[in-house]
Amino acid sequence: MSDFASGPKPYVYVCTRLRVRKSKLIPREDYLRLLNMGIPEITRFIEETQYKKEIDELATSFSGIDLIELALSWNLAKEYQNIQRITPGVLKRFTQSYLRKWDIQNVLSIFRGKMQGMKPGKVREIMVPAGELDKVFLDRLIKEETPERVLEALKGQSVYPVIAAGFTAALEEGSFARVENELYRQFYANLLTEARSGFKGGRQFLQYIMLDIDITNIRSMFRLRADRMQEDARAMMIDGGTFSIEEFQQLISIEEDREFIDTLKSKVRLKPLLLLLDELAGGRKTLREIEIDLIKVQLAQMESFTKQNPFSIHPILTYLEKKKYEIFNLRAIARGKEVNLPTDRIRGYLVM
Amino acid sequence: MAGEELALMTVEMVEASQLGMKAIAAALAVGLTGFATAIAEMTIGSAAVGATAENKDVFGLVLLLTVIPETIVIFGLVVALLLIF
Repeated sequence: MSDFASGPKPYVYVCTRLRVRKSKLIPREDYLRLLNMGIPEITRFIEETQYKKEIDELATSFSGIDLIELALSWNLAKEYQNIQRITPGVLKRFTQSYLRKWDIQNVLSIFRGKMQGMKPGKVREIMVPAGELDKVFLDRLIKEETPERVLEALKGQSVYPVIAAGFTAALEEGSFARVENELYRQFYANLLTEARSGFKGGRQFLQYIMLDIDITNIRSMFRLRADRMQEDARAMMIDGGTFSIEEFQQLISIEEDREFIDTLKSKVRLKPLLLLLDELAGGRKTLREIEIDLIKVQLAQMESFTKQNPFSIHPILTYLEKKKYEIFNLRAIARGKEVNLPTDRIRGYLVM
Repeated sequence: MAGEELALMTVEMVEASQLGMKAIAAALAVGLTGFATAIAEMTIGSAAVGATAENKDVFGLVLLLTVIPETIVIFGLVVALLLIF
């Protein structure tokens, strides 16, 4: 389909399909109901929605929280692969580049699992084979004995050079945080190049990437300020958004919270973000609440992009992001219930 | 010179020419509205197929929506018939 698909037809087809799927996502009221349920009820509830096939398939070998976790991961991966199959031409290209984010997450999860000596089965549960690296390849990586062997197996993949460069230092430090930052910087740099390479619809893709970079940078600023960590702030920042490295550095070195928010307000132009900053200037919010609010701002802005460009990459990306947060929410509820967290606490982790 | 040629046209010739013009107008009315319908249905049709792929229950409704632009070509046809008869 992708080779001869041209004109507006395939855009209309895919965007309508994803809009229908978006309308089937779990609404806010259902999350509130889920918060009052136990694990068996949650399993039954999600079995009645889009997760029926996965739950039925896995119910014979798993139960409880493991069943929910695995069903959610499988469903997400299946959904992402299905979207790649139905999107045509340039949209497919953009979607695939966006989904490479999962490669980074999967590979790092494998490395972290290996370093902590986790069982292969447990690591497999959190894999989302949605990017370039497929299920078979990831399985092969999981089966490798040591992190060094995993790195060897990654040779030839796009993530290899960055990981290889920081691998020894990461093993010594016992943390892949620096490698992760570097991988994300490379990922966003690749996305920007892709969006600017002159393909039709690249302008809309660029709009999304800039928004994502800005929100990620602002989130990093809040985190760095909360940790009072300033020395290697430059490595945390992602290039290509509204903020330059100097501005980023200057913003995180401001001591006063109020002054920081005011300076930040003078730099950003997004209306929902400005409203959020106004709100933050007034009351005290925890870092977790601020992060959730930032995600909500991003989703709201993506919705408005979708309305401005109904037949572009935006409806696809909006659906992908919303689906991701649906999975996060369900996972948060299930895990919270498993360890008997109070309902209010779990609610604080939900994006709804 | 031109005046002489005009003088040579008979009533039958004028009538035939008028009929020809009507036929062209009728053809344009049906043809152009046909194109317009096709373009409108192309978009609605793709969206309809997309919506049906996700939810089969809407098939009847989207089929109805897809054929609504047919009215454009029907208007064209009516205008064409009025022109000719």
